[in-house]
Amino acid sequence: MIELRDDCLHMRFPDVHPEARMSLHFQRTLRIPDDGGHYPLPAGLGPFPLRHVDDFADSVPPLWLEHGGVMLPMYQSEALWVNFDGGYPFAVKIAAGKIDAVTGKPWSNALHRRPQDYVTVPKQPWLDGYCVEKGVIRQFVAMPLGSGYSAEEQLTGKSEVGGLQLIAYPLKRTAYEKWIAERARAIEALPAASMMLSRCRGLDMGLALGGRMRQEIYDDPFQLSDWDQNHAARCFVHIANSQVWRAITGEEPPTTPLTAKEYRSHGIPWFEYYGEGKAVAGVGILDRLKSLAQIGAEKGDAPPLDDETITVDRVVVLREGLEKGQVREGRF
Amino acid sequence: MTNGFGDYVRRRREALREADSGYSVRQVAQRIGVEPSFLSKVERGEAAPPSEAKIVALAGELGEDADVLLALAGKVSSDLQQAIRHRPELFAALIREMKDLPDHAVLRLVREVRDGTW
Repeated sequence: MIELRDDCLHMRFPDVHPEARMSLHFQRTLRIPDDGGHYPLPAGLGPFPLRHVDDFADSVPPLWLEHGGVMLPMYQSEALWVNFDGGYPFAVKIAAGKIDAVTGKPWSNALHRRPQDYVTVPKQPWLDGYCVEKGVIRQFVAMPLGSGYSAEEQLTGKSEVGGLQLIAYPLKRTAYEKWIAERARAIEALPAASMMLSRCRGLDMGLALGGRMRQEIYDDPFQLSDWDQNHAARCFVHIANSQVWRAITGEEPPTTPLTAKEYRSHGIPWFEYYGEGKAVAGVGILDRLKSLAQIGAEKGDAPPLDDETITVDRVVVLREGLEKGQVREGRF
Repeated sequence: MTNGFGDYVRRRREALREADSGYSVRQVAQRIGVEPSFLSKVERGEAAPPSEAKIVALAGELGEDADVLLALAGKVSSDLQQAIRHRPELFAALIREMKDLPDHAVLRLVREVRDGTW
């Protein structure tokens, strides 16, 4: 089951195991430049607000009610990353516009191993974008659905879905008990507004491919049969344009995203994360897609984006097994 | 005076302190806005648990669930009290009905994020 609490999605499978819990939220972050460079991970600048679409049934599009799930507000060209928290292993599929973010293939509920179309938690603490090649992602950046920028529109030629989709499967109880026993041994061995909305274009946002960032999608350390595919938590995360968030919810949208200049002047660090184990390779679908900057240049859109190269001057290195206090956050 | 609350807080704080010296009585007390001597007395069971707001702040510091700490202190959070006062018959009946149910059955009553067709 999935519960929404404090802008966080909490998933629990008490039928599988009392410890089978994971939470997930969406972090606001700096949009990195799409300048051909490979950036480290930008800091989280606070979670996006999340609301049940059912709570605003009178003001959200009917399709959102059909999809169910939750919604969050994003400004055009704002970036997002997904944060996973929890110690119990989960396999999580994430898609944008029903395009799998790891493989670029169309959405399906089931897990696939070759190529791997999901991330594994707790190995994977974050996901910042579409996996375009081994160890490299292109950042998730919001653009109005219908403007042709999203992976969905480039791959399907349609702009019907938008948003983010996710499904999580817990590890089977037997596999968990074996894993936790092995882990304990390994640790011991170590040295220590509906009318207005109907007129409003660009309510729905899709996720385009932003700048390149160093982030590995870790190879599943378990067998495919270790995942309990009889138990799943699935959720559609709608992305509303921030400008109309107030009309839908009556709440103020978050402040406009930080610019690269502000990020630097506040001394907010960047992060590198080193996990153990192999990374999956890109499948070759997402890498062929055009980035936001490329499409913008082709369309001759007024350059809305500041793509000037950023000097990365402060990098914090985090390693697998994040301890308390080791967070990927920036204060400003 | 039983000291479930104080013992629990001290054990949790000391466990965190092993890895991080910022979890001394003095520093935790400062961060939640109480006198270190008061927190020390609470941990030893020589003073009654602090106010709801301080317990919630302490739970945040120690990475604990606020409702669990409040319960150990013999309190119920004010939002829950308000909910019960608002619909006393309904909630009294509900809680009495559910008090012996296993956890997984109670969890099914929590509001789920509804999944639709997509």
